[in-house]
Amino acid sequence: MTIDVTSGTYGTCDGRSRRSFLKLGALAFGGLTLAQQLQIEAQAAASGKATKDLSVILLWQGGGPSHIDMWDMKPSAPAEFRGSFNPIKTVIPGYYVCEHMPRIAQMVDKISIVRSVTHPDSGHESASHTLLTGYKPTNDIPSNEVPSYGSIVSYEMGPRVEGFPAYACVPRAPKSTAAAYLGVAYNPFETQGDPSSTDFQVRNLKLPNGLTLARLEQRRDLMKTFDTLRRDVDASGLISGMDAFSQKAFELATSPKVQAAFDISRESSSVRDRYGRNTMGQSALLARRLVEAGVRFVTVDTGGWDTHTNNFENLKRKKLPHFDACFASLIEDLDQRGMLEKTLVLVWGEFGRTPRINKDAGRDHWSTAMTAVMAGGGIKRGVVLGETDARAEFPKERPVSPQDILSTMYGQLGLDQDKSYKNEADRPVAILNNGVPIPEII
Amino acid sequence: MNDRIKVILSLLFAVVAGTAAAASPALASLTKLTVEPAQVALVNADQLVQLLVTAQYSDGTQRDVTRTAAYTVTAPKSTGKAPAPASITTGRVVPQADGTTSVQITFKDLVSKQSAAATVPVQVTGFTVERRLNYANDILPILTKASCNSGGCHGKQGGQNGFALSLLGFDPDFDYNALTREGHGRRITLTAPDQSLLLTKAAGVFPHGGGAKLDLGSDSYQLLRRWIVQGTPKGRTNDPVVQAIEVIPRERILIGTKEQQVRVVARYSDGSTADVTRAAEYKSQQPDILIVEHDGLIRTLDRTGEGAVMVRYMGLVDVTRITVPYSRNLPESAYANFKPKTYVDELVMTKWRKLGIAPSELCTDAEFIRRASLDAIGTLPTAEEVRTFLADKAPDKRDRLVTALLDRKEYADYWAGIWGDVLRNKRRNGEEHKRGTFAFAAWIQDSMAQNKPYDQFVREILTAQGNVSDNPTVVWYREVRNTVHQVNDTAQLFLGTRVSCANCHNHPYEKMTQDDYWGMAAFFSRLGVKQGEVSSENAIFVRKDGETRQPRTGKTMKPKGLGGPAYDQVRGEDPRAKLADWMAEPTNPYFSRALVNRIWAHYLGVGLVEGVDDMRLTNPPSNPALLDALAKDFVAHKFDLKQLMRTIMTSQVYGLSATPNSDNHTDKQNYARYFPRRLPAQALLDAVDTVTGSTEKYAGFPLGTRAIELPDEFVPSYFLDVFGRSKRETACECERSYAPNLAQSLHLMNSPEIQSKISDAKGNAAKLAESKRPNAEIMAELYLRAFSRPPSEDELAESVKRLAATTDRRAFLEDFTWMLVNSKEFVFNH
Repeated sequence: MTIDVTSGTYGTCDGRSRRSFLKLGALAFGGLTLAQQLQIEAQAAASGKATKDLSVILLWQGGGPSHIDMWDMKPSAPAEFRGSFNPIKTVIPGYYVCEHMPRIAQMVDKISIVRSVTHPDSGHESASHTLLTGYKPTNDIPSNEVPSYGSIVSYEMGPRVEGFPAYACVPRAPKSTAAAYLGVAYNPFETQGDPSSTDFQVRNLKLPNGLTLARLEQRRDLMKTFDTLRRDVDASGLISGMDAFSQKAFELATSPKVQAAFDISRESSSVRDRYGRNTMGQSALLARRLVEAGVRFVTVDTGGWDTHTNNFENLKRKKLPHFDACFASLIEDLDQRGMLEKTLVLVWGEFGRTPRINKDAGRDHWSTAMTAVMAGGGIKRGVVLGETDARAEFPKERPVSPQDILSTMYGQLGLDQDKSYKNEADRPVAILNNGVPIPEII
Repeated sequence: MNDRIKVILSLLFAVVAGTAAAASPALASLTKLTVEPAQVALVNADQLVQLLVTAQYSDGTQRDVTRTAAYTVTAPKSTGKAPAPASITTGRVVPQADGTTSVQITFKDLVSKQSAAATVPVQVTGFTVERRLNYANDILPILTKASCNSGGCHGKQGGQNGFALSLLGFDPDFDYNALTREGHGRRITLTAPDQSLLLTKAAGVFPHGGGAKLDLGSDSYQLLRRWIVQGTPKGRTNDPVVQAIEVIPRERILIGTKEQQVRVVARYSDGSTADVTRAAEYKSQQPDILIVEHDGLIRTLDRTGEGAVMVRYMGLVDVTRITVPYSRNLPESAYANFKPKTYVDELVMTKWRKLGIAPSELCTDAEFIRRASLDAIGTLPTAEEVRTFLADKAPDKRDRLVTALLDRKEYADYWAGIWGDVLRNKRRNGEEHKRGTFAFAAWIQDSMAQNKPYDQFVREILTAQGNVSDNPTVVWYREVRNTVHQVNDTAQLFLGTRVSCANCHNHPYEKMTQDDYWGMAAFFSRLGVKQGEVSSENAIFVRKDGETRQPRTGKTMKPKGLGGPAYDQVRGEDPRAKLADWMAEPTNPYFSRALVNRIWAHYLGVGLVEGVDDMRLTNPPSNPALLDALAKDFVAHKFDLKQLMRTIMTSQVYGLSATPNSDNHTDKQNYARYFPRRLPAQALLDAVDTVTGSTEKYAGFPLGTRAIELPDEFVPSYFLDVFGRSKRETACECERSYAPNLAQSLHLMNSPEIQSKISDAKGNAAKLAESKRPNAEIMAELYLRAFSRPPSEDELAESVKRLAATTDRRAFLEDFTWMLVNSKEFVFNH
């Protein structure tokens, strides 16, 4: 963000909300007048930034998915490491995945798998912050010291189709997915609710019970007549801003296009079955609908991977079958619709899990080896990069940092990772301060 | 404020007051030309001096003419073709040879056709002597000015591409080593200076990620090259060290010109001075009003107002304030309706006169009761309160209202929430923290209710020890759990200044060093935490001994407040008590100012220093005299918070209308009118309940609990979250957000929650629809509840007409209620 745009002072976080609001930019969930939007587009075109029109879906595996039980099987490791799952062949000769990911085994030729991601932080909150922003937090209990990449992408690129939010989280926003000093306008829009429940609705998007479209329009008419406070009493722009948001809210609540995009019940039941009739599957399906309609960045919170106890039971009964259906369907679906090259998909959590099984048949936090999966948006198909040692504890070759993964993502989106924003202390903070794109997968 | 500035200020005020009364300033005549410095002595070939040439006018105004004056240098008599000792361009004197000469300066006012002249003697010595360069004094400023060591480049933690410098050069020893030793000395090639990476990269001869930063052959390039030729001397230990910088002028009102050259002088430990105008860095704090060039030329844009330009050299900062008046010729009648009641009014009006702006009318009584109630107690006045207030004919009714509001229970509730935010009284998600959080919240509420003196309030927090049940303030240390948090929060919250930069390096925008930071840290060196009476709680104890070391130097630090005395550590004493003592000293420059600024910003919408917890030299107050006066008054009244609020709220300034006039519509920081703000989340939700006549239920609290009474951030509420209640993650006031966003509009407009409040069968719309009251009374009731005013004649006529015409009275009243809660007049405090 540009700090120095209004009078008062610079670098104060008190002024931040106002300023970030004034500079509507690529406001998450719209809010621009047409003129503003056109101006921003003209500026973007003039500066030649971010002309690649990609969207992003992040499947966030909060808690830390067990790499050794999914993507990086070690059947020859001692029993206290390898666990009870068997590897199965995939369509990539010589590459095996877990027996509980049979559909994924048939589609790994569409994705890149980086098995040698490594970082030194095995605390949930701080590692999540690192993996969701690219920056290790300095605070011991972090809360978005820097903006999440979802916020950055929506700030830089805006919604793909005007009228839609730029950045959405389905169903809820995990910690460290917010906008920090870019301003509240770039926080994710949360659908809330559970997309797999029969009465799923996105918060406040549908007319509430007892209200009809005609009546909402009558109410708007009353507002035009009776809400007469002069806009010019406020030099800060907040009052005219509220007018703009209120107009936008009205359009969203009454826009058939937006209503349709969020209405997952419009998918055929065979498609819904294929993704899996569970929160993870239906959330991914909703993410696909949103990206298709015009949302730029969708984070799907697939949490629940923190398997300290009964790792194998949990994975086998629930997480892996759900993930298998969800991820395989998402990639196949995007591919079939011709959207895969326009949609970058990233799958990871904050770390992997201890290869040595603990006394509760669980696995604990393990950050020095984990797997990241990327697909679409120009990412190569069928690459398995990097390798860990015999017990999946450390990278054996081609160690990759989380920042390298993010650098790859920013590069594919056409964003300059050296661009910086001023934080609350007026210190310039780059989009990413280390990491290089991974040539093997692009 | 030092005496010198006071003199200048009083002169300026006199000038402006004089011109306002004068018939036409256009007749002011050019009286003389003054030059700073009056004489120039250059003692080596590298020195330059920037002259400041100022035209003085008969009306007392001054105008910088450095760029428009004509300069001639007298050639020496005896030497034929030899160069004159000095040349001059844009007022900058450059030495050319040893000798003595003088510069003649003439200026012609193009409007009045008057001229004035001045002469400055110049002496140049030591021109041919190659002096021994000093890394810190000669080289470091070049690197800083070229941004090599900025936070975006090599100055960031870990450096850039393997080359790290200390941020803005705060650690010259580290930088010298990085340049000359690191990487086997590859950055410097003594045998072929021009091949040195330092030069080839900086000049862009070799590819450089940062681009070309120095022109080949520029003075800076030449100086770097000479330093390499000399064998990269670090300098002798007894070489002078820069100790202070001064920018000239410190303050200027721009009249009849759009630019102002500044001059920067550095003072060294040996008593010498040097002109560092060209080597210093400049930054405009208000780039929409002022821009500043590399050579210290400030230009105004076409906007009026005030701005500051920060000057930085060798880690030292200074600031110059530039005023671009709105109008020079406001007639005295523009102020005729404003009758100053208190010193607040006088000081604010002085500032208006200086800027040439004039106040709006006083607001209406209805506006006042709504505004004062929302600001002081976070609560809308009831329809009945509004009626009573409007009917009161006594002239002192606003003052009485203020006193009454500050005595209400809601005052303590509302302010307990505000303090709870910045004191980070936070449950997070643990039931185990509920007891402590509630106890601390109750302690804050009680402190507010009994109007505990602020110094005592802070002392009880800072020096907390024991268990939660003995002393609820120990809960403060639950979030503020380590030294870094303790120093940062203490400074930000109680001293109004952000020090976190100085944890690791000297503060880039303030005279604050890493030693200052760790001196503050030493106050907390004996703080101990152990398990409390309940296993999930901590107890605070004080160790008999304990010291703090500065991490970079390893030096043991004495406890020392910013700019305060250093205390000796005495075995068995709690240094935190000394911190509280130091804060409460009447002479403490931070403590009372930080508080009055915070409270002022709460009531007036904009702080005297914006960023209420970001007070620093380079972020000066918009009205220093007022800030000082409020702080002094606060100390004199023994830190009485309600007295301070009464002083602010009973001023005429607080009672101005929000509606701008042609003499103040550009004002954003001088209170010529009330600046509206969106209602805070809690007050807004309570207000929605008031207007709709429904009651929000908060999990775990009895029905009827209001949002402003909630003790912490943990009570689930989508409404409060989306309207920006503080998460209490930091001590920053800014965590409470007032910015509108789309989710807010969507929620007010289209949520089942608001819809059910509006259509509540026991709610206001339903009751009014069933009542037998006349239509006009019904509509008036709605207006009084939501807007705290009766409807205008037109509004009443139109709304009554529509109510009478409807077939479904309840539906219409619900729709009208919807309109009220969605309207700007409702959502904003104005």
